[in-house]
Amino acid sequence: MYFLYFDPGLGAMLIQAVVAAVAAIVLFSKNLMFKIKSFLGLIKDNDQDLFDDIDVDDSEIEKNTKSDN
Amino acid sequence: MTTKEIHTSSFRDPSGAIFIDEGQVKRVINPIYFKQYNALKSTGFFNKLFKSGLLIKHEELSVSESEIIIQPEQIPFITYPYEWSFNQYKEAALLTLKLQKFALENNYILKDATAFNVTFHKGKAVFIDTLSFDFYIENTPWRAYKQFITHFLGPLLLAHYHGAQSLKLMSNFIDGIPVKMLSTMLPFKTKLNPFLYSNVHLLAKFEDKHNEDYKGEAKTSSLSKKGQLNIIESLYDFIKKLQLKEYSEWGEYYDKTNYSNDAFLQKSKIINNWITNLKAKTVIDIGGNDGTFVRKIESSLDQALVCDIDNNAVDYNYKQVKQNKEQFMTPFVLDVLNPSGAIGFNNKERFSFVKRIKEFSPDASLALAVIHHMTLSGNITFDMSASFFASFSKYLIIEFPKREDSWVERLLKTKGEFKAHFDFYNLNNFIESYTKYFDIEEQIEIEDSKRTLFLLKVKHD
Repeated sequence: MYFLYFDPGLGAMLIQAVVAAVAAIVLFSKNLMFKIKSFLGLIKDNDQDLFDDIDVDDSEIEKNTKSDN
Repeated sequence: MTTKEIHTSSFRDPSGAIFIDEGQVKRVINPIYFKQYNALKSTGFFNKLFKSGLLIKHEELSVSESEIIIQPEQIPFITYPYEWSFNQYKEAALLTLKLQKFALENNYILKDATAFNVTFHKGKAVFIDTLSFDFYIENTPWRAYKQFITHFLGPLLLAHYHGAQSLKLMSNFIDGIPVKMLSTMLPFKTKLNPFLYSNVHLLAKFEDKHNEDYKGEAKTSSLSKKGQLNIIESLYDFIKKLQLKEYSEWGEYYDKTNYSNDAFLQKSKIINNWITNLKAKTVIDIGGNDGTFVRKIESSLDQALVCDIDNNAVDYNYKQVKQNKEQFMTPFVLDVLNPSGAIGFNNKERFSFVKRIKEFSPDASLALAVIHHMTLSGNITFDMSASFFASFSKYLIIEFPKREDSWVERLLKTKGEFKAHFDFYNLNNFIESYTKYFDIEEQIEIEDSKRTLFLLKVKHD
């Protein structure tokens, strides 16, 4: 059970199936483009990126654990 | 039930609450959340997030049958979403998505996604609502999805299409930009983008259609975990790429000021000496631009707040903070002529800038090249600005550009016939007003310029 201390919005709950379907297509085409581009050698390393990827970096966790001890 | 004095912003979530005990922020956890808390603790979920720096660290102080008390790492100064620059806002949004993905992978969720769950500490965004995690129930949609759109995607889109000043709208909408309003404010072409159409326009339509349905059918909607991960990842990709249109490289600012290289060096040297001699550990630089003068301070500071009205300057400062991995500097957007007010229920949920800065009470304040703007553009009298600066810190380093300074001349020229009203703008009147509140410790003319630097100390009552 969740405490519904704010209204998640019925419309917002229902729509997520649609949003997820669109997202799947967007992500799929993005990955496809990435593969095509890397096959053609068009991918440049972008060192200028201010932000990293969505995944929580495991090596970062490991590293910090070691330095903590 | 606890008799602690609960923080006035901490009432929405029944899982627990923030309270202040002997000046320390602590958190009480209620029995209703024990199961979640114990699971998050025993599975090492909290620990992983502490190690990765995404969640503010806490330690457990006491455990009883009726309550658990934890104490989070203390954050000296809280900034709010409407005080963030564009990239700070982006980082807060990405942090929230990162946490939701990590939570999902470990069978938890973020049960809410308000932008006020994030603040800036030690040079980066950190999540501060420890009790925002809950168990994931298979095939349920993300119930904080709409909140994420109204708190993060919405403001960022408005900033992209209408400029970074749109981020200030959040000070009027404590629960995010309403989706219907957001949808109407975006240009038509966004309807042709499938990502934006589904996440904003269609969402607004669905919400509109179902807003009078009180049967609680939300429970019946279902979404696979893979589907939810797709939403999270596509939001992350989109926001990560989002840029300001107006964005131009900052950094030429100091070429445009009327400082010769020598005067610039002399000015930073004087400030550096004064701060070092005062042994100041905490400072605020009001109108601090991209933090140039704070970076020239050689003595080590525990916390430097650098605020400016210009979102781009703050953003440029923030990028430097990230690149140099500076932990002591917190940049934020502030209009000194209209500092952030207190908002929320009873005006006590989010505190005003004035209240927060008085509590922070920096050892020294810097007001460089700002008094002529306050006085001549804002019509703030010397008495008013002196009393303002004297209200939150013991020492003030203030720069006074004289009438002959080219910036002052330019500002005066724009006044036309009203110019005579500003005849009071001169060094003597400045000193007369400021010495009502301060003693002058030192006064140095900056060579090769028409400016004077003062080190002032607040008078004892």
